[in-house]
Amino acid sequence: MRYRSAVAVLAGLATAAALTACGRSAESPGQAQPSSTVAAKATGRITMWAMGTEGELLPAFLKTFEAANPGVKVDVTAVPWDSSYQKFQTAIASGNVPDVAMMPGLPVFKDAFAPVPEAVRTADMYPGAVATGTMGGRLLEVPWYVDVRVLYYRTDLARKAGWDRPPATWDELRRLAGDLRKKAGAKWGIRLPAGMTGSFLSTLWMPWSNGGELMNAGRSAWTLDTPEFAAAYEYLASYFEQGLADANADPAPAAAVKDFLTGATPMLVAGPFVRGAITQSAGDAFTGKYATVPLPAGKSSTSFVGGANLVVFKAAKNPGSAWKLVQWLSEPSTQVAWYRASGDLPAVRSAWQDPALTADPTLAAFAEQLKTAKAPPQLVSFDKVGAAGDSAIERIVKGGTPVADALRQLQQQADGIGVS
Amino acid sequence: MSGAASLTGPAGGANAARRRRQTAIAWTFAAPFVIIFAMFMVLPIAASLGFSFTDLTAQDVRTPFNVDVVGLRQYADVLTDPRFQHAAGVTAVFVLAGIPLTVALGLALALALNSGVRRFKPVYRVAFYAPVVTSVVAVSVIWRHILARDGLLNMLLALVGVQGPDWLNSTTWALPSLVLMAVWRNAGTLMVIFLAGLQSIPPAVMEAAAMDGAGPWRRLRSVTLPLLRPAMLLGGVLISVGYLQFFEESFVMTQGGPLESTLSLTYYTFNTFGFGDFAKASAASYLMFVVIAAVSLVQFRLLRRAT
Repeated sequence: MRYRSAVAVLAGLATAAALTACGRSAESPGQAQPSSTVAAKATGRITMWAMGTEGELLPAFLKTFEAANPGVKVDVTAVPWDSSYQKFQTAIASGNVPDVAMMPGLPVFKDAFAPVPEAVRTADMYPGAVATGTMGGRLLEVPWYVDVRVLYYRTDLARKAGWDRPPATWDELRRLAGDLRKKAGAKWGIRLPAGMTGSFLSTLWMPWSNGGELMNAGRSAWTLDTPEFAAAYEYLASYFEQGLADANADPAPAAAVKDFLTGATPMLVAGPFVRGAITQSAGDAFTGKYATVPLPAGKSSTSFVGGANLVVFKAAKNPGSAWKLVQWLSEPSTQVAWYRASGDLPAVRSAWQDPALTADPTLAAFAEQLKTAKAPPQLVSFDKVGAAGDSAIERIVKGGTPVADALRQLQQQADGIGVS
Repeated sequence: MSGAASLTGPAGGANAARRRRQTAIAWTFAAPFVIIFAMFMVLPIAASLGFSFTDLTAQDVRTPFNVDVVGLRQYADVLTDPRFQHAAGVTAVFVLAGIPLTVALGLALALALNSGVRRFKPVYRVAFYAPVVTSVVAVSVIWRHILARDGLLNMLLALVGVQGPDWLNSTTWALPSLVLMAVWRNAGTLMVIFLAGLQSIPPAVMEAAAMDGAGPWRRLRSVTLPLLRPAMLLGGVLISVGYLQFFEESFVMTQGGPLESTLSLTYYTFNTFGFGDFAKASAASYLMFVVIAAVSLVQFRLLRRAT
């Protein structure tokens, strides 16, 4: 019995200690900003974390930077995407952070990022990309590469269906989807998300292209129950009602590419990653069979832009040199070189003038789309609103809930979640 | 331990000293485990209990003590969340349908192996027990293919002229599919427990019943099952704790969908942690802990009465 009471006392003490020490102070710590400056010359050791392919390619790519800055050594740690969130969380909680990291938004960690110094220029970057790094009105992340959604469609099958030009309007897109099924023998017209994780984000181009906005001008409230949103979701739902899109499609990205290659689903709205996946599994021979075009326009053609940014942590040990590295990575020439190495699309506008990018016909649509593409507000609460949006779409598409009801409910949920 | 002091009077002083020495030695040997257990189990558990009374979120990871104490608000929030209530309902269906089915199947397999099957007994035992030791994620991946729209199950159904539903994408069939998979997976555990129980029934009792003219069915109902009750209740407790926490199945196969028809309590907690609402998620965890403890307590009471 004594052991158990000892454990209980221990647990009680820990709880009491935790509780008495609590209390939110008005000033969050670290409010006193360390001044962010860029070193004239990078020196010493810079630690960097990057996810996925980027983490694998960076060590070789950064040799150029190390050669230009004698005496600097960049240690890149490749972090798996799946565990990156936890790794950042642990690193920030323990204060044991790298100097620089690749960061896909994640405003939840914004207090740990140092503000971007003036000397790191972002004026030449796409506004949508800059928006992904702006949190609480301040630029905390420097755009590195962009991921923007465009329409992929099978030109060979479209020709069979009597279309020799891409669909330009919402109405044309739906007609092409129907013709691909009826005249070209496709199983489905287009792949659209039906409520799985990410559906809300992946379909944001519809309300945006219809004049809808996620938030009011002052960014003090969500505006999801608007006529613009309703019409956009009616349009989305019509694809499932008319049997043009499969509500139960396998959500894996690989399945989308496979169905596109076989022609089962000859249209999809996707980012640049699909280009690489197509070339990888079907080779260059397939390039003549498909095209990428800007999203068909409602009131406008407004796509979603995401991608990855670069941050320097407040607790960085070598911040000056770290900013130097970020500055170097966002130079137009470096961005082109990185495109060649990785296929990641440059966030810097002038990099798109380079022959490496202008020569590829499938990239023109991305260049066009990037001019107007938007990013959702970088708020911690947006994750939850997005998840609520996913289930709203699922209720509309699979549950048969009227769009008006689903949006009213979504608006209520979003109001409850708030705008923090 | 606490009784030891009162038993040893003044006369037993040397004895008491020896006992104290022994206790000290025992603690020394146990220390490595106790210290690690306290640091990595007791402390985090105590911390999570403490945090469930605060408003801690992922934004506070750098300053976990710089949060407000909100009392029972997180618990109230969780209990009034319609998604939590829905998840509780889903979990209840899973448990109430899953446990009787698993017990029935486990019992049938054990009876068959105990008396029916004469040859290849070990082969059957391994075959029925294999799902228990296989990784639940691997099993779920395979079952996802079996239950796919044009998967193995629907191909077999088509052979007999039945058009099967899209099991995992149907709000009606997704949860029953997961229940069936869990039954298939866990029946092996109960089979082993029941086999042990069956083998402890003295043959003399069976023979006496047979002499009295009881047929096989009567023997099963009046002799075997009552004698097997302790084993059945033990199995019930073991399985119910697992079923109350069901998660991997829907995580791998349905992601809680379609339309949240397979969203379990554990999944709800997992999602809440995922959104960085650590305090709310801790509160949900403790609510579930209370339910599991209560269910186990009820079952142990029943078990005690039966034995």
